[in-house]
Amino acid sequence: MAPDKQQDLLQGTLDLLILKAVSLGPLHGYGVLLRIQQISGEELVIQQGSLYPALYRLEHRGAITSEWGESENNRRAKYYSLTDLGRARLGEETERWNRMSGIINGILSATP
Amino acid sequence: MSLRALFVRVISQPRSWMRAALGRERLETEMDAELASHLEQLIGDLVRAGHSPAEAARRARVAMGPMLVHKEEMRASLGLKWWDELGADLKYGLRILRKSPGFTAIAAGSLALAIGANTAIFSIAKSLLYDRLGVPHPEQLRLLSWHGDGNQAVHGMWGDFDDAPEGGMVSNIFSYPVYLDLRAQNRSLQDLFAFKNDGMNATVAGQAQRVQTEMVSGNYYAGLGVRSQLGRAIQPSDETEYGAGTVAVISDGLWERAYGRSPAVLGQTITLNQSVMTIVGVNPRGFTGAKGVQVSPEVFVPITMLPVIDPKGDKSLLEDPDTWWVNIMARAKPGVDDTQAQAVLSSQLEADVRATMQVKPGETMPHLVLSDGSRGLHAAEGMFKKPVAVLMALTGFVLLLACANIANLLLARGARRQREMSVRLALGAGRVRVLRQLLTESLLLAGIGGLGGLLLGYAGRNLLPALMSNGWERNEFNVHFDWGIFAFAASVTLVTGLLFGLAPAWLAARAEVSSSLKEAAQTTTRRRRGVAGKFLVAFQIALSTLLVVGAGLFLRTVFSLNSIDLGFRADHLLLFEVHPPARRYAGGKDVELDARLEEGFAAIPGVEAVTAATTPYIAETMGNDFFLPEGEKQDDQKDQAEFFNVVGNGFFNTMGIPMVAGRPFGVEDAATSQKVIVINQSLARKRFPNENPIGKMVKIGFGEENQARIVGICRDTLYASLREPAPPQFFAPYRQQKHVGGITFMIRTRLASARLVASFRDVVQKQDRDLPIINIRTQQEQIDATMQQERMFAALTTGFGVLALALACVGIYGIMAYSVANRTNEIGIRLALGAQPGQVRRMILRESGWLASAGVVVGVAAALALTRLVKSMLYGVQPWDPATLVAGGLLLLAVALAASWIPARRAAGVQPMDALRHE
Repeated sequence: MAPDKQQDLLQGTLDLLILKAVSLGPLHGYGVLLRIQQISGEELVIQQGSLYPALYRLEHRGAITSEWGESENNRRAKYYSLTDLGRARLGEETERWNRMSGIINGILSATP
Repeated sequence: MSLRALFVRVISQPRSWMRAALGRERLETEMDAELASHLEQLIGDLVRAGHSPAEAARRARVAMGPMLVHKEEMRASLGLKWWDELGADLKYGLRILRKSPGFTAIAAGSLALAIGANTAIFSIAKSLLYDRLGVPHPEQLRLLSWHGDGNQAVHGMWGDFDDAPEGGMVSNIFSYPVYLDLRAQNRSLQDLFAFKNDGMNATVAGQAQRVQTEMVSGNYYAGLGVRSQLGRAIQPSDETEYGAGTVAVISDGLWERAYGRSPAVLGQTITLNQSVMTIVGVNPRGFTGAKGVQVSPEVFVPITMLPVIDPKGDKSLLEDPDTWWVNIMARAKPGVDDTQAQAVLSSQLEADVRATMQVKPGETMPHLVLSDGSRGLHAAEGMFKKPVAVLMALTGFVLLLACANIANLLLARGARRQREMSVRLALGAGRVRVLRQLLTESLLLAGIGGLGGLLLGYAGRNLLPALMSNGWERNEFNVHFDWGIFAFAASVTLVTGLLFGLAPAWLAARAEVSSSLKEAAQTTTRRRRGVAGKFLVAFQIALSTLLVVGAGLFLRTVFSLNSIDLGFRADHLLLFEVHPPARRYAGGKDVELDARLEEGFAAIPGVEAVTAATTPYIAETMGNDFFLPEGEKQDDQKDQAEFFNVVGNGFFNTMGIPMVAGRPFGVEDAATSQKVIVINQSLARKRFPNENPIGKMVKIGFGEENQARIVGICRDTLYASLREPAPPQFFAPYRQQKHVGGITFMIRTRLASARLVASFRDVVQKQDRDLPIINIRTQQEQIDATMQQERMFAALTTGFGVLALALACVGIYGIMAYSVANRTNEIGIRLALGAQPGQVRRMILRESGWLASAGVVVGVAAALALTRLVKSMLYGVQPWDPATLVAGGLLLLAVALAASWIPARRAAGVQPMDALRHE
């Protein structure tokens, strides 16, 4: 978990990652973090605190919704789940990301 | 998708914001709980990974980062940051305002005054000049009037007529036969309807009173599109024949006042000039008849009742083609334009005049003019146009003055706070953030001022009409509070406040932090603001000079009017009127009634003397008649009519008018004895030069033989108005007249009128239960009423003038105090180099003196240009009156010097060492 290993997140991608993580099932904040790290094979490390402003922003914009519930170890925790709007947005963002990375890949793989 | 995004933006996001902003405490606990739970799980995982609990906690905290910052960002995500900052700004702004209560009071006070006065006065002006009748689609209404070249065939008139601007005259009255013909032939407008307003004696719910009546044609309500709120309106079946239709519709106001809004009012009767009328309906609230919105007739009756309830002369007005009196209106017909309709109606009018009247050779035809009827007869326009325009100009100046004052105050304060702003910027505040802080403060100040202005304007809109009408005639003046005007006045002042509040802030925010914290740079920015501030103060002084000169002129006018020699004793004189209806008191019965009433009043304890007159003095009423001394022939080329007054036998004694020669009237002048008259000195000089008029016979009046002998000459008195010099007059005793009509009783007493009114009523009711006594006032009140406009302007200009002086005083004090504080260093050096304190004081006073002089010069120049416009409203003083101008200018100079005395003394008292150490 040393900072030098950490991959910098592209601006705006955190939202996409959160939406993706939540789309697989309701999660609390710590769970979102763990899931992203897990899927990325521990390659991506997200600064713990910066997750929450992003969660609040997404909820404010109606992409996710939250509910208080019980965590695995019987603690009260706030669970986030994807809304219809969030699902649509995830599809859209994914498509955009794919297009973008395709273009960039194309540029980078160009040979003289 | 875009629809969805819109839904989120419009509904979901504000809802989320509202939930967060309102459930603030819950939000904070949830945030804390969520972060705490995260931390806990992280620590748990770290412990499981083999760290000691203490080490795990440490690592977890490091990984989490600063909690406060995260929480702040979470709040920002919900859009709460802006809200929180606003709260902080408001709190800080309030603290700043509280810290300088003087500044707050003056700034908010002048804002409130400017907004309030402007709202009130513009509301009144709008109501007087632009308010439309309370009927559906008033813009469709057309008023019929006519233009005559001065030789028109119309002679007998009862109603309004005016000089036309293009020469000749205009009037909106017609004869009834012409109305009927026009209506029958009319194809160019919708149905013509007729109406006429008059005052009548009424007994309503057992109480005799004077009411305003509108006599209306049967199609009037249908034409106006007005429906009664209770019962029915007057309809065509009410005017089937002349003298028919004993029904009345009453106003909402009378219904409330006399019947307490009881539905049982229908079917009750009122007596109108001795005719019993049945109430069949109540008008809707806000309907003031067709005459205009400034009048409020209380009883509406069919116009066919006119010969019965309001006979004028021997002939029924409904059949008389020679007396023009009735007002006509109609709605425009769709598709017919006004010029077309006017041309057609004009030729019809000419034909109708020729058909109904005998037109003498040389007489011309009136031309019909079709004008906008949406404001009724426009009667108020002519009467109030000038005073309202002057009032509006006055308040406009006050608005300017208040704006200048606020600008000055805010500029000064902005400059004073430049250092504070620099410090804030240096500590890391964003420029936008600092600007927003200042904007919030300005808005807060503006808000307080605006609220005050709203209250003032709301209260003031009814205050001015009260000042403009007299105390004894009920006038339901309809001024609505106008939100549009309030918004206008408020935005003008608020924009000024924001502009001048933000300008220095903007400069401060742009200034380089380091440079404005340095001493040297400060003086350059302050110099610049000094120029703007001085200009504003000079402008304030100029406006104040203008207002003070105006106040001086109006005060002198009132003073001149008050010191006029009336020619009679106006003190302790009580006036009231009795109008015996012509039908009941025909054939001289009214003369007998007057005599009995005079005796009755004289018997009341406390009454010193009683008399009566058909023309009360200084009441803008007059009457004239032919006056032909024996040997003089009637001559159409010469004006042989003279003002007269029909009076009681004790008139000269009661009024305190001394006889110059001969005798006054006495008991010997009875109905059957030789007819006598008294003339005044002016008449004696005018009609009897170089001869003794006493004993001469005079033929009075036109037509019937009415010879009277001159028995005395009295001293001159004023007649209808204070502004006219005493005209020639003659007097005849009412006891020798065949018919008198309405008469004013004059009672000399030292008791207050309130204590006597009941006794007067008893005396009248003993003679006639249905006869009201009306317009009870003292002679002095009567005189004051004719000076109302002058007094109102004197009061307003004085009030505004004092206010302007106070504001100018604050302005000049502020700017000089500021200048002295800024120059402490310089003054210290001067004193150290040997300047005397007196020299320093003079230097400061000289500076303010120049400033004030510049303002005064501009103000006097403006006054010279503007006061000419109110020349017709002044009396006994010229608009360029040097005394007033000089006094106004000197007053301003004196005030300016007095206001700068304290800063000057402070400057002179500076200790050189302190001053040099000062910065």
